[in-house]
Amino acid sequence: MARVFITGLGYICSIGNDQETVVHNLRNLKHGMALFPPVNVPDSPVRVVAPVREFEVDSLDQEDWTYPARYKIRRQTIRSFSPHVLYAYCSLLQAIENAELKEVDISNKETGIYTASGGSIRFIYHHLRRMEKRGVMRCNPLNIISSIAGTLSFNLVSHFKIQGASTGFASACASSGHAMGFAYDEIQRGRQKRMFVVGAEDCNFESVVPFCGMRALSLSLVPDRASRPFDQTRDGFVSSGGAVTVVLESEEEVERRGVPVYGEMVGWGQASDGHNVAISHPEGRGLESAMLRALGDAGIQPAQVEYINAHAPSTPIGDRSEVQAIRRVFNPGETRPMISSTKALTGHGLSLSSVLEAALCLSAQRQGFVPGSAHIQQLMSEAEGLNIIRQTVNATPTYILSNSSGFGGANTSLVFRHV
Amino acid sequence: MNSGTEIDTVAVNPLTLEERADLEESLKRCSEETRNAVFEFRETGRVGLLPGIVIGLIERFLEPEVRPQLRSSDDSIRLVDDLRIDSLTMMEIVVLVEEALDISIDNQELRDLRTLDDVSCFIDAKTKGLPLPQRGRLFGIEAIGAAVPHRPPFLFLNEARVEKDTAIGTYTITGEEDFLGGHFPGNPIMPASIMLEALGQLAVFHLVTTQKNGTGSVVDSSKVLFTSVEAVRCQRICLPGETLTLRIKLKHMRHPLAMFEGKITVNGESAAWAEEISLTFDWVGVPGAH
Repeated sequence: MARVFITGLGYICSIGNDQETVVHNLRNLKHGMALFPPVNVPDSPVRVVAPVREFEVDSLDQEDWTYPARYKIRRQTIRSFSPHVLYAYCSLLQAIENAELKEVDISNKETGIYTASGGSIRFIYHHLRRMEKRGVMRCNPLNIISSIAGTLSFNLVSHFKIQGASTGFASACASSGHAMGFAYDEIQRGRQKRMFVVGAEDCNFESVVPFCGMRALSLSLVPDRASRPFDQTRDGFVSSGGAVTVVLESEEEVERRGVPVYGEMVGWGQASDGHNVAISHPEGRGLESAMLRALGDAGIQPAQVEYINAHAPSTPIGDRSEVQAIRRVFNPGETRPMISSTKALTGHGLSLSSVLEAALCLSAQRQGFVPGSAHIQQLMSEAEGLNIIRQTVNATPTYILSNSSGFGGANTSLVFRHV
Repeated sequence: MNSGTEIDTVAVNPLTLEERADLEESLKRCSEETRNAVFEFRETGRVGLLPGIVIGLIERFLEPEVRPQLRSSDDSIRLVDDLRIDSLTMMEIVVLVEEALDISIDNQELRDLRTLDDVSCFIDAKTKGLPLPQRGRLFGIEAIGAAVPHRPPFLFLNEARVEKDTAIGTYTITGEEDFLGGHFPGNPIMPASIMLEALGQLAVFHLVTTQKNGTGSVVDSSKVLFTSVEAVRCQRICLPGETLTLRIKLKHMRHPLAMFEGKITVNGESAAWAEEISLTFDWVGVPGAH
């Protein structure tokens, strides 16, 4: 079985649009929340969002968009984007540069791409409104391509001339965890030498406000406190968007190219709750199984894990389920890995979150720190006894576990090793 | 522009305020001149505005580097090959044209629109509510090969469209042609004689696909021969990778002689012109008539 290394990262997210800024904010626990004007409508109680900065993508006409000048995109390319595809495109360019990949390394049969996004509800909605208003034959010819859940793959595969494996994953907030896991499998089994994993989501009125009805969002009016995983008073997640790309490569490719690595991915696991369409299992049974499988896949004992990047979105039920699952996996042996939820800083990027958190783990590991779990004033009672770190710790954990859970009770857990 | 009719204006539905606002939004990336022309057309129905509108709407979708080509070329410029408009961009153009001119274009009609001239004639007919211009039949390389006696490596037509007195064809210089090795070593240039040959082949193809005598006999493809060419001018060298657009027009025909005028353009630029290409021919089933 081939070993799998991470060689490149690219970030467009609420805490920064380049790795240096993201790492700075992560280490110093600087969050990306803000009062977000697009959701400030009378009948919506939500005010705080973790938006993407430096991108003006409110217009439905891509040619109106503005974005950092380092990215130059032709009309014929951007015309089939929705906002999250633009973020993804930029993150992929960053990751390619970061991994020092040449064009020939990107476009060949041994290099593939797995993507994760929920599509663009905003674009779907407005395209259908236009169709109703102006008639079926006056739809924008690219409305499907730019908006449905496969849009990331359609655009990125064609623009980067990807010839290897490509598909998208749709397991809500576990989507990019599945993408990471199956990309790892492709390389481990020798079917691909290199995989890009891209997670991305829009961040606009239509991506945020629909979660109000299910009472999942934080109604806090205070950006500094809205996302507070593991806090006794947590009241819901803070929505975010953006994109992250991770480059996975086989050991052979890493040696051939002679590039530095962030770390090694050594296993993953997934399991489902089989419980509820939206709510996680109250005892976190699916996530418990996913973590055990990940550890088994990596061939390590719970005691070897030094840091867990929790899914913990700051929802009352989700955080409680995860705390119970972690306790059952780690505490019988009295091991106390450090635990934090970086969603206190980044907000919850849905399909993006798993690959974002994997990237944050790898960036921090390389820099020799473990990010603290910000904004806890009073630790939730169920978490007593767990080593939830509230400040950044200078340490280089050998093994890191990164959890994600999605609607329908889909759970993934990824294992990274310091090399 | 095909203006075979005397219609100067057509009936138009006045725009509501909302439609006007929508249309302004849709046209916001067109030139001011184009926007004004569209609104004037939607008020007056003056068909003289249409050619300028069509060019303006197409131009809006072109990458900046090919825009000058649209303005400087003649109507034969091809949307896909010369202006690099892909099929999705074609759809975008169609949606905007439909909205700007309040017409509908169906898929079959769209498939026949290859050149700027095709588009101009089509829109002219469509807005006037006239029957669509009958474009000549388009033949691919197999159909051409089946009709003329020429064969690779001495067949210089990739496709051809034939009408009553004219034909238009294309040939893309691949760079693999044997003679380019010697014409010239290290500097391949399409020989002018071969360009004339290509016009001659298009003329042969036109003869054998269109002409019949009084008794219904067609031209025997094995009996068409070149006799003379008058007044030839070459205006531009043609290089591998370029596509020759070949045009012939039947000037005069009386058994056993047919005379054509011929012209070659590349990306709308004149490349060669021949005032008179003469061929001799005979009808099928007329032994020894030549």
